[in-house]
Amino acid sequence: MNEALAERMPVVTGTDTETFAALYERTFPRVYAYVASLLRDRAAAEDVTAQAFERAYRRRTSYRARRGTPEAWLFGIARNAALDELRRRKRRARLESDPEDTGALGADDHAELALRREAVRAAMGALEGRERDLLALKFSAGLSNSEIATVLGLSETAAGTRLHRTLTKLRKACND
Amino acid sequence: MTDESTTIERDLGAVELALGTGAATHADPVARELQELALELRADAPQAEPRFAEGLRARVEAGFPRAPGSARGRAEAAGARQQAALERLAARAARGPDGLGRRLLRPIAGVGLPLLLIVVVVFAAGGPPGGGGGGGGDDNASSAAGGVTRGGSGGGSSGGGAEAGAGDNAIVAPAQPLPSGRGFAPGQRDRKIERSFSLELDVPLDDMARVADQVTAVTNRHGGFVLNSSVNSGKDGGGGDFSLRIPTDRLRPALRDLAELAPVIRQSQEGRDVTREHVTAKDRLQAARAERRSLLRRLEQAATDEEAESIRRRLDLVAGEISGLRGQLRDLRLRTDYAVVTVSLLVADDHDDNRGGVGGSFDDAMNDAGGLLVGFAGVLIRVLALALPLGLIALAAWLGTRVVRRRRRESALA
Repeated sequence: MNEALAERMPVVTGTDTETFAALYERTFPRVYAYVASLLRDRAAAEDVTAQAFERAYRRRTSYRARRGTPEAWLFGIARNAALDELRRRKRRARLESDPEDTGALGADDHAELALRREAVRAAMGALEGRERDLLALKFSAGLSNSEIATVLGLSETAAGTRLHRTLTKLRKACND
Repeated sequence: MTDESTTIERDLGAVELALGTGAATHADPVARELQELALELRADAPQAEPRFAEGLRARVEAGFPRAPGSARGRAEAAGARQQAALERLAARAARGPDGLGRRLLRPIAGVGLPLLLIVVVVFAAGGPPGGGGGGGGDDNASSAAGGVTRGGSGGGSSGGGAEAGAGDNAIVAPAQPLPSGRGFAPGQRDRKIERSFSLELDVPLDDMARVADQVTAVTNRHGGFVLNSSVNSGKDGGGGDFSLRIPTDRLRPALRDLAELAPVIRQSQEGRDVTREHVTAKDRLQAARAERRSLLRRLEQAATDEEAESIRRRLDLVAGEISGLRGQLRDLRLRTDYAVVTVSLLVADDHDDNRGGVGGSFDDAMNDAGGLLVGFAGVLIRVLALALPLGLIALAAWLGTRVVRRRRRESALA
């Protein structure tokens, strides 16, 4: 990264000296994965991911370390952006008709693995939006239960219990 | 710990372990299945295309520039300038490495500026506490005004009614408007008013003798007299007290001249309507005179010595009554024609003439500070009375908006 530009970017975190660019490098794949999991639309996921990072950049001085980690703060912004997009889509009554477009398996994927993955995706489709959101925060975004609790405004215990309930439901749906 | 919570803890621990190691190895089949599911979900996480990732990285490095000339671009440029100015201020204010000042500056500015605005509004609407003029006196009126005011400064007193003198020699007028020549009850003629004034002057010790002489001179000049006086100009502490009688029709100019002698620390005035007393005494005197005339006529016509003697005794009594009533009326006239003016000369602690009207002693400073604090507290209470409900309403609205926005967003997941 250009050193001069890095110098110009203010510090984001309160505990460590970290530039916004460093935060981006560290979190971009997970933010995209989370947003794409929620939206199930590659083009929209790209737009919303870019929008989320831009919003975070413009509000970077509003980050407060005592309210949570930079990840929790950033994923809170990304989640709001994704939910806004979902609401826009809902208003256009396109949500149900949007094709699932999270990427196909590669040609070298094992057939059994492919079947298993399809089963999981189908089971995910049967879950409620909030449950899919929770799983995306955990497995696509890779957040800890404590960070998920911060993003969702819950206690850590409640977040863990909810996650367990959702995983159990998904397991049952996969086995059905 | 219940069985359910034990299971939850075990399963969540197994999931975390699988995510950490990348392998599903738990002995319990259900937990292992959850581990596999977790690994599957993570592996199925969508991946961004490298082209998009590169494009976004470039935008991040450029600081998300906006199109030049666009409204948002211009607004952002202005915002950036303000932000830079704020950060410079915060950096100046920050004393520690954690930038405490920077964190404090904004909330302080956020709270302080609206408060300042409210203070300005409160002052503009109603003026500071303690303001407002005092009215004229009633039949029995008294007033007092504090504050050191130098003769010649032309400053007004808090009670209002300051009377301007001539040019730079304008004197400090009494706090209350001086009564007119017709007394304290305007519109009613021949009112008999007994007046008394009290003045405290701030006199430097080395000027005590001169000011004392001037008090007597002013009194004489206006046709009054000094009833009693005492002056001490010794180095161990000085002061002076004068009890003066000044004709009421010369009271205004006399007070003006007295106030010019030294800064007035305090002044008060009092009035008492003695019209009823006067009228009663006058009526009784007339009645007594009429009785005397009648008695004298009867005495001329008395037929016997006994009757004449009886009338003489009665005449003596009436003469005594007339004499007493005359004395009473004379005394009343003296009290209403001459005002009682008490002048106290107090030693100024600070001999510096450039004090600009600010009390020099520690007590004065404490009094001034106390007055200021009381005034400030008054303003603060008014500001809080306005700001508190407004703040609570704003807080409730802000919280309500947050909840509504969050619910509306969450509805997208329903």
